Amino acid sequence: MDFTEIDHLLKLARIELSSQEKERIALDLENILDYVKQLQKVNTDGVESMTGGTLLENICDSDKIDKQKENISEKLKESAPYLKDDYIKIPPIFE
Amino acid sequence: MIKEIHQKLVNREITATELISGYFQTIDEKDSQVKAFLSLTKEEALQQAKKIDEKIKKGEEINILEGIPYAVKDNMLVNGVKATAGSKILENYIASFDATVIKKLKEQGAILLGKTNMDEFAMGSSTENSAFFTTKNPCDLERVPGGSSGGSAAAVASKMSVFTLGSDTGGSIRQPAGFCGVVGFKPSYGAVSRYGLIAMASSLDIIGPLTQSVEDAEIVFKTICGKDPMDSTSYNLEEIHNTQYRIQNTVFGLPKEYFQEGLDGKIKKTIAEVIKKIKSKGATIKEVSLPSTSYALPCYYIIMPAEASSNLARFDGIRYSPISNYPNLHDLYFKTRGKGFGAEVRRRIVLGTYVLSSGYYEAYYKKAQQVRKLIAQEFDKVFQEVDFLITPTSPTFPFKIGEKVDDPLSMYLSDIFTVSANIAGVPAINLPCGQADNLPISMQIIGPYLSDFSLLNVTKTIENIIS
Repeated sequence: MDFTEIDHLLKLARIELSSQEKERIALDLENILDYVKQLQKVNTDGVESMTGGTLLENICDSDKIDKQKENISEKLKESAPYLKDDYIKIPPIFE
Repeated sequence: MIKEIHQKLVNREITATELISGYFQTIDEKDSQVKAFLSLTKEEALQQAKKIDEKIKKGEEINILEGIPYAVKDNMLVNGVKATAGSKILENYIASFDATVIKKLKEQGAILLGKTNMDEFAMGSSTENSAFFTTKNPCDLERVPGGSSGGSAAAVASKMSVFTLGSDTGGSIRQPAGFCGVVGFKPSYGAVSRYGLIAMASSLDIIGPLTQSVEDAEIVFKTICGKDPMDSTSYNLEEIHNTQYRIQNTVFGLPKEYFQEGLDGKIKKTIAEVIKKIKSKGATIKEVSLPSTSYALPCYYIIMPAEASSNLARFDGIRYSPISNYPNLHDLYFKTRGKGFGAEVRRRIVLGTYVLSSGYYEAYYKKAQQVRKLIAQEFDKVFQEVDFLITPTSPTFPFKIGEKVDDPLSMYLSDIFTVSANIAGVPAINLPCGQADNLPISMQIIGPYLSDFSLLNVTKTIENIIS
């Protein structure tokens, strides 16, 4: 795995690393990918994907306001330290 | 143990205040060495104990867990208490609400002692990936307690807590329980609500108890299980009290793939002796095969990082207390996440990003999901032949601190016998069954999907047979 590829992945994952750390992660990733590649040997023709944690089917929740959640908004706001009125403040997106 | 303490409280042989103070004293004496706790909630605990004492004094009835001290892994939210998940990125994060498991334990009057150490975001098998410090194995302080729920396992093993909660995504309750010589139960996927658990891999994560006996695990599990409107994957498990249960009617399967090369000889021998004892009580033992076993770990190391990379996207520096203020959004994201996540977390996020990215998705992620289906189907099939499976929990004894930390792949192999249960969603329990060179040896008993209460029942019988 070369640096261009690692840079691309780090960009997608929004992580900044030093070049030394990049070298290390490239090496680790190569080893891990080598290991997981053995799955290619398994014949999965016609096998459905298992997407959830169980073999059960998905169900939908009814679209109702949950009373339990109503009182929590103040507290949730507290976990974002830069606030202005009822808004969470972030740095500018455009220069 | 829980029942004994409960009786002592009811009979007024001990007050809740004495009990709780006693546990904090043990923590004072031992935790400077073991390092199982990240934070303590002493003041609240003693206040709660006082209230329970008043209740007992008035002659009021108390619940089985009322006044019983416990600790939780630091990836579960307790309102008003720090929840770091072992990560620097959450170093100052204070939880805004109670996880459902905490809410249920609070309702029963159990008393929280504190939060336990873990590998960062539950990624690891030794607690060496904690951003704060490494927990030691109470059986041998030079060795790891296992992980990622290493703090929870060490706290129970060193009797600093009656029970603890851990989370298990690929073995994170069972492997440390095995390494420290305590009981650790991973319920069926969905049997316990994940609301308020900091997510690693949502289709694999589950909360469960670590205890000194199977009976204790059952008491705690009964309290925390059940359908929760806040977690749509949770459900009610029908409580099966199989009082007619007899070991003579039970068929145990030994999957041959779990007893092959790589398994330590002493562990193999001890488990063989236990199986002999079980057989002598009249149980049927049958060798079975789960042919895709060797694919479970590579399958896990695609699905888990994929889900983790998505789940950890929420740590963006905007919520959950950022590390510092940056002039633009780009820097805020890249620097917060670059500095805030440790090496193993970064590795898994980047790996997950890779297997989900365009061009690789089909070859990795989709393939892994298909293999996952095959593994789950194999479990379904084998449970038509046998009632439960017996395997080792770990191929090795607890390793030395520092031994594997620089070699991710060899660390991953610690979970080789535990991941399959998460992949298939079935319940599995770690039961200590012997020791060698002062280190614990443990076995794993796996049951069919949703058989949690029967599994606990059969494990109690085996626990009795061993002792």
